[in-house]
Amino acid sequence: MKKRPAWIASLVAWPIVLLIAFPLLWMLITSVKPAAELFSTSPTLLPKAITFEHYVRVLTDTPFLQYFANSMILATSTTIVVISISVLGAYSLVRFAYPGRETLASLVLFTYLLPSVVLISPLYLMLVSIGLANTLASLVIAYTTFALPYALWLLRSFMAGIPQDLESAAMVDGASRMGAFVDVVLPQALPGIISTALFTFILAWNEYLYALVLVNSDEARPLTTGVMTMLISAFNIEWSLLMAASVLMSVPLIIIFAFFQRHLTSGFGAGGVKG
Amino acid sequence: MPDLALQRPGLSRERRDALLGLLLIAPTVLVLGAVIVYPLLSAIALSFQSVYTPTLEGHWVGLANYRELLGAGGFWAALLTTAIWTAGTLTLQILIGVAMALLLHQNILFRSLARSLVLFPYFLSTVVAVLVWRWLFNDLYGIVNHALMAAGVIDAPVNWLGAMPNAMLSIMVVGAWKFFPFVVIAVLARLQTIPEALYEAARIDGAGPISRFFDVTLPQLRDVLTIVILLRTVWDFKEFDLIYLMTGGGPVNGTRTLPLIVYQQAFGLNQMGMAAAYAVSMMLVMLVFMLAYLQRARKAAA
Repeated sequence: MKKRPAWIASLVAWPIVLLIAFPLLWMLITSVKPAAELFSTSPTLLPKAITFEHYVRVLTDTPFLQYFANSMILATSTTIVVISISVLGAYSLVRFAYPGRETLASLVLFTYLLPSVVLISPLYLMLVSIGLANTLASLVIAYTTFALPYALWLLRSFMAGIPQDLESAAMVDGASRMGAFVDVVLPQALPGIISTALFTFILAWNEYLYALVLVNSDEARPLTTGVMTMLISAFNIEWSLLMAASVLMSVPLIIIFAFFQRHLTSGFGAGGVKG
Repeated sequence: MPDLALQRPGLSRERRDALLGLLLIAPTVLVLGAVIVYPLLSAIALSFQSVYTPTLEGHWVGLANYRELLGAGGFWAALLTTAIWTAGTLTLQILIGVAMALLLHQNILFRSLARSLVLFPYFLSTVVAVLVWRWLFNDLYGIVNHALMAAGVIDAPVNWLGAMPNAMLSIMVVGAWKFFPFVVIAVLARLQTIPEALYEAARIDGAGPISRFFDVTLPQLRDVLTIVILLRTVWDFKEFDLIYLMTGGGPVNGTRTLPLIVYQQAFGLNQMGMAAAYAVSMMLVMLVFMLAYLQRARKAAA
């Protein structure tokens, strides 16, 4: 009956929305401002001139592209490893009966809440002793500590929502259990798998602490620690350069967010809050 | 219908199923065992040792680490700092989150754009959030000081991150900005399932917008808010990146929370055993909230 716009609510909401979005807008504006304008005593909201010199410098004068490639490899590998393991694991937790299943499900949820700082020292010792320190592989292993419990929990709730009848019907028609899994369950679970994969990618892309501890060479450094190195090593902090790097670093997230916002929010509801 | 028992000679259907289930869960169990259970047990073992990080040589010291951190060490001070940070930023997250969810639930103009703008900080890397806010808070060229001075709120630039209590308040605000969208998503999803009939009934009873919020909306949100508060308490309590990158725990130790001490002990002071003792103690405190969440989440799943 009522679908007319709420004018008063709009007038209240939009100034707040803009205030919340302002830091990101300011990041964008700073990244295209000429250096002279940046350090003026009366900053202008909109730049008088637009320059892309900072972007050019980030891409050519800094190891940014190396970091970007590292992050891409790292986040993609983590996602592939974690999704492969957790799709099978979640299916097992949802559809099979065996002793210890409920305990295991609780354990997964428990590990999902575990602080990284508790695991960081032993993981560091472990990865040094097997000779993987300072490699992207060490980070993939470390990232499974938070990504795997997360993905398992999320996929488990997605798969629990798939009706069992279709699977039973396929098996009555002669399909094997795994055949029914591949032909019936996987297609049904696909939206959930996509959400989970995107989230895992974002978590890995944004991770900072393990990267700080486990990697200290540019060859394996991802964007998070790499861009912070640019801040710390600079004698004069070049804010426009850092803002340009921040924008570029967020581009994959913006793309994911723009195309999959629905997937992301549904994943959230299911995994984070509803249990 | 084909005879299933004939197709699978030797084993009953249940046994075969259970075996397949175990086979499918095996990779998960192996990986979780190797990267979580084993390191977790090692952390507990490490906490009874004195280990020098660069050489990784250690010896057993029994409860000495715990005695030191609970006595002369900084555990209680850091626990207080952690509690203040968690309570402060969480309160802001909940208030802003619920208010924003209520507004975004209305049929406002360009609603989906507004939702995207509001949710995005949550998906952003903490590193990016920190860089942007450190630039906003910059004492000389930061827009926050410029704006407040232009508005006549302050006369001279404020040192937002290098003095107390400013530094604590600043990280609370940044934490709220970064994490409130989680509250928005959870509350918004719940708001959409509250039956309109409840509001109609309240309207017929003559309830205004404010009493409709307290009598209808808030009770409906109670369960989701409990879970959100438990989850966010755990996550804010263990937050490392944001605080470490905003203030490094300073000024002096003003914002040095427990996760920062663990990192500092292990990789700054090279005391890995002591770091593990701090980490284990911190986990024991968190366990209260973790168990409360586990209980509720399991109940909701069942």
